Amino acid sequence: MTTRSDSLDRGIAAEGLRRDFDDLHAVDGVDLEIPGGQIFGFLGPNGAGKSTLVKILTTILNPTAGRATVAGHDVQKQGGRVRQAIGVALQDVGLDPLMTARELLMLQAELFGTPRGEARTTAERLLVTVGLDDVDPKKRAGAYSGGMKRRLDLALALVHDPRILFLDEPTTGLDPASRAAIWEEVRRLNDELGMTIFLTTQYLEEADRLADRIAIIDRGRIVAEGTPAALKRQVGDEVVELQFGSSEDCQRAHDAVARVAPNRQTSNRDLRLYFGHAAENVPELVRILDAAGIRLQGLTIERPSLDDVFLRVTGEALEHEVDEAVEDATVAAQARS
Amino acid sequence: MNDMLLLIGRSLRNTMREPATVLPNIAISIFFLFVYNSGLSSVAELPGFQGTYLGFILPVAIVSAAVGGAGLAGQTLIKDIDNGYFTKLLLTPTRRLSVIWGPMIASAIVLTAQVVLVMLIALALGLEVVAGPAGFALVVVLAFLWGMAFAGYAAFMALKTKNAAAAQAATFAFFPLIFLSYTFVPEEYVTADWLRWAATVNPTTYVFDAMRSLLNTGWDWVSLSVGFGVTFGFATVTGIMALWAARGATKMS
Repeated sequence: MTTRSDSLDRGIAAEGLRRDFDDLHAVDGVDLEIPGGQIFGFLGPNGAGKSTLVKILTTILNPTAGRATVAGHDVQKQGGRVRQAIGVALQDVGLDPLMTARELLMLQAELFGTPRGEARTTAERLLVTVGLDDVDPKKRAGAYSGGMKRRLDLALALVHDPRILFLDEPTTGLDPASRAAIWEEVRRLNDELGMTIFLTTQYLEEADRLADRIAIIDRGRIVAEGTPAALKRQVGDEVVELQFGSSEDCQRAHDAVARVAPNRQTSNRDLRLYFGHAAENVPELVRILDAAGIRLQGLTIERPSLDDVFLRVTGEALEHEVDEAVEDATVAAQARS
Repeated sequence: MNDMLLLIGRSLRNTMREPATVLPNIAISIFFLFVYNSGLSSVAELPGFQGTYLGFILPVAIVSAAVGGAGLAGQTLIKDIDNGYFTKLLLTPTRRLSVIWGPMIASAIVLTAQVVLVMLIALALGLEVVAGPAGFALVVVLAFLWGMAFAGYAAFMALKTKNAAAAQAATFAFFPLIFLSYTFVPEEYVTADWLRWAATVNPTTYVFDAMRSLLNTGWDWVSLSVGFGVTFGFATVTGIMALWAARGATKMS
């Protein structure tokens, strides 16, 4: 249970947040209302504006316009208070390669005002937490592997028991085992300590597994927001995926099934159709394709994924190339609904 | 204050871990001292020369140690910016200026240690400081301030370019200043007009003058005032430049 003041204390709010770099609107009018205690996933492709937004919320970049409060403090006017309340692990880790993990953790704790003796205890505890306690204590951070650096960087963000934790693409470039370890830790921090977690990611699976609520950002704007389940329901209850041998076949099929499946989108050589009940429409679909002489290579029925949501609201799949006509159609459809 | 001390301590410890960043600079200064002192000491026999040649050439070794040591401040900042630790520090409640002043003051401490080492070697070679222990201390203070002035310049270049090679090159650009002065012989023996002109506009000349007066002739208040005045002026200019660059680098507005 969280009370109202608790929620403000641990929450994040933004209004009309904008950041321009010359002609580029990296963040273009973002509004946010994140209550305390949530894991909030911020999903978007490379260059969508995720990191810029994190830098503004964590006080290291000024917005061009708009305002934001983090833990109840204004990010521009009360930067010091915001920094005292938050822990941050940016996409590019920030470690002094000449220092050992213990030295880095102790210095970080002391910079947050922890007395030296206590800082030592904190360092030892966090090394256990992130699974680096059995590393040679003399080993300097510069000699750590990528995954170890990421874990140490996460530990540095936790030295002062922050109320809000910002994680900018915490698992990008990590192997599956390290990724799973970070997921587990994120969930534990949220469950046990009630820490609010603001997480950016380009992995749909990561957002789906961890986040209570998700916002999808594209070209600096939030294009969809809600719980993962609600977002998926927006596109339909079930998906029929049709696979074709060529993108031309796929495009012809896309036009041919318009009457039966008004909700649909193509991604490369796959056509995805959204229905309330998929199975009852399959015979009709097959007949239409047969009549049009389009050869079908495969057909699957599945639940919508966040990928479908993403494709629908941004007009682009995270990893695939997309037909531009579909993008226009889906964005227009989204705007109408 | 505590965060500043923590960050100074960290920079000093890092310097000890990478002795290669300071050893060449110390070696060059000591090299200057030995080579010029033994090779040019007959200059002291010229008519009108006051004091010893060791006392005359020592400021060259000191200023070289100070300028080289100051480059370290810029290098430390660039390393911090490159490896992301600078941003990490900006994300703590640490005051912004500590993040920049920490490495700068640490470099100044390292530089002062180098200067003292060079001066101790000179004492071992038989140097007698005419102005006494207080004069010795004042030479160290002047070297420290001159070094800080260069550290400000090095930090400015580091924060503006964010490029190690560019900042390094900018620091080296100041090495010729050491030689465009009355470096090896007193003013009255320099006949080339261009060198006399260069020495007059070169602030290093006045630092040499002030140090030489303390080492070789005693308390010369005119030389001291001009030397300290030029040094303070130079340090103020580079200090303002560094602060201005720091504002941009830490607020990122």
